[in-house]
Amino acid sequence: MQRINLAEIKPRPGTQAYFRYRQIADDSIVISNLEGNWLILGAEEFGRFARGEVEPGSPLHERLSSKNFLRANYDVQAAAERMKARKYFIHAGPLLHVMVVTLRCNETCVYCHASRANMDAVETDMTPEIAEKAVDVALGTTNNFVTIEFQGGEPLVNFGVVKHIIEYATKRNQELGKRLEFTMVSNFSLMDEEKLAYLLEHKVQMCTSIDGPEQLHNAQRKLPTTHNAYQAAAKWIKRINEAYIEIGLDPTLYHVEALMTTTKATLPLWKEVVDTYVGLGCKTVFLRPIDPFGFAERARLRLEYPRGAYLEFYRNALDYMLELNAQGVEILERYAAIFLTKILRGEDPNFLDNRSPAGAGIGQLAYSYDGTIYTCDEARMLAATGDQTFKLGTVFDTNYRKVVGHETVRAMTIATNLDQQPDCVNCAYNPYCGTNAAYNYKAQGSIFGRMRDNNVCSVHKGIQDYLFEKLAAGDPKVMQAFERWTTIRPREHFVQDPKRSQTP
Amino acid sequence: MSASAARELSFPRDIYAGEAIDEAVKTWSGFADFALRETDDHWIVALTPKPEYQAHARRIVGEFGNAVLGMTIDRGGAT
Amino acid sequence: MQSTTSFSDIPEAVVSVDASERSVAITLDAELYPLQAVYGAAYIFIDRCYVFVDRPQPGRYRVTLAAKQDVAEPEALRAVVGEFANELLACAWRHQITQDNRVAIETVTVQAIAGAMGEPSLDDLADFDFTDEALDDPLGIAQSWEEKHGRPAPAKAEAEAKSEEEAPA
Repeated sequence: MQRINLAEIKPRPGTQAYFRYRQIADDSIVISNLEGNWLILGAEEFGRFARGEVEPGSPLHERLSSKNFLRANYDVQAAAERMKARKYFIHAGPLLHVMVVTLRCNETCVYCHASRANMDAVETDMTPEIAEKAVDVALGTTNNFVTIEFQGGEPLVNFGVVKHIIEYATKRNQELGKRLEFTMVSNFSLMDEEKLAYLLEHKVQMCTSIDGPEQLHNAQRKLPTTHNAYQAAAKWIKRINEAYIEIGLDPTLYHVEALMTTTKATLPLWKEVVDTYVGLGCKTVFLRPIDPFGFAERARLRLEYPRGAYLEFYRNALDYMLELNAQGVEILERYAAIFLTKILRGEDPNFLDNRSPAGAGIGQLAYSYDGTIYTCDEARMLAATGDQTFKLGTVFDTNYRKVVGHETVRAMTIATNLDQQPDCVNCAYNPYCGTNAAYNYKAQGSIFGRMRDNNVCSVHKGIQDYLFEKLAAGDPKVMQAFERWTTIRPREHFVQDPKRSQTP
Repeated sequence: MSASAARELSFPRDIYAGEAIDEAVKTWSGFADFALRETDDHWIVALTPKPEYQAHARRIVGEFGNAVLGMTIDRGGAT
Repeated sequence: MQSTTSFSDIPEAVVSVDASERSVAITLDAELYPLQAVYGAAYIFIDRCYVFVDRPQPGRYRVTLAAKQDVAEPEALRAVVGEFANELLACAWRHQITQDNRVAIETVTVQAIAGAMGEPSLDDLADFDFTDEALDDPLGIAQSWEEKHGRPAPAKAEAEAKSEEEAPA
């Protein structure tokens, strides 16, 4: 890339309102302002803007003025409202409550960061007593939206407590009237028709893991040799999608979604991964890079890769997905959708690991099987390695208010505020981005981290570079795809009816 | 601070908190004997590992220093 | 490891090496790097190094990092120096940024925590520790005007005035 040279441009302040910039191509410079408005300028345009040589009435002046980049007519009120809208989530407490109902798991995954236990380790099952206390804390949230997410291990192993939580929370919510939802992340290998019937009846959103084509998936996610992990997941994806149709739900809106973890083996298989997801009827793929928690650390040398290699994989996969979209195939990438919602719509989809401040402690809480409460699921995984830095208490010795008012939560809230972060303060992507304090601590030794050599930052920058390149190119079919990817259609079916009576 | 002179540590008063030193001395008193004195500019700690821990002298001195630093930072600094 | 007293790319006045101790000593300009930044950078090394901070002369800090584990290659100590320098720069810059953006950061943090905590219940208030020690007051907001400015409280001033009147001539 031919870099612009500020010494040659000779910027002269005075006409510009506050802005940040980032060059993404020879003739494309992204500028953004505090409230998250953005423009893509050519190099010559950027030079004129930087020198204050934009003629009033010119097209460039009109573009800059309409997006609040010029000092002379800077609309403070509009900027404040936009900033307030972007930060709406700070006015309410945790909405996501991760319940780790067991550590037992029947699958062994090479990158597993759930600190799994063998199937005979029944002492790692959450008890109904602990489950009720965890639900009491969760429903104490000031947020009117509550999602209880079942995780493990494999949550179906402790299905009795899953049911207990659903029934207890639903009953308690009759008096509270919150918008309560349940989700479950499962490998599906222990699913049967009876469990499915219960989960459907109780409107539990189901999510699974698909790492890509069958061979890759089975190489990374091992069931006992008599079972095929991919086939088990694929079978139940199909069955659950059929069941949604049977109960009259719109299949374009209601279908099982899957997650993947990108390992070194995944990198050359970008096309196969996307084709696998499309073939299974999934509408979303989340191209998550590997992270350093749990087992993944031990297997790091085999699984890890430079983030440049991940970004190449990402670009290839996205280009292919956009080709498919142009052919009418409905498939979106979750990371891209999260960023694009912020960039194009000025709204925050509240993805807790990618907002400023991040959701640890104030947007989500994680409850381990033994009743220990953590700021987030990564914190719980860290605790499994012996590091209790992000422990907030237990369901026996604390309450909701003390948990979210804990000094650790305050520290993480400050540490993930991008307005105190070197590099982020000057980054054009500041309004759309986020950092993860537990990741920073694990990878770089402090909850603040150092963004310039931080893997999460390089991924976020790389993805946003790609997206802004596409926005600069302005291909109508790509713009249509981005419009679809950022259109949020609420799935009201999964909201529990607070008036519904449950027999305990 | 070198290994042989390591048994006397001079903590600058404007960098380390006296209370942190006191607390660290209490914590490590099972592993070493301590003698404390002070000058205008320094807290001076003379540290002698107990006989059964002589082989771990470097570690005891080093971890003691780390403890004082950590406890000072926990307090917000020297003052 | 072969003994060396410095790295070829850094003046010895800035970084000296004691190979027998597996340690490096980094001398810093206290004007460029505030103490808070030195604390921040030093702290993240205490899991793998013994860390000591002192003052070789006014206007300077010296941070000594002694590797806990055996260091097989000189490059490993050089890497420690590099990583410390990067962390120190990040901490120093963050120190400046937080001063510049303090109001914005505090506003968001207070709103986020207050939004999450919600209003206290009567039980919460009953449990709250209202003793002085429990209340952090770095800006002295809870201090009376008299405490802050050294003048006696009205009742006390009146009593002092009265006792002056009554004092024997």
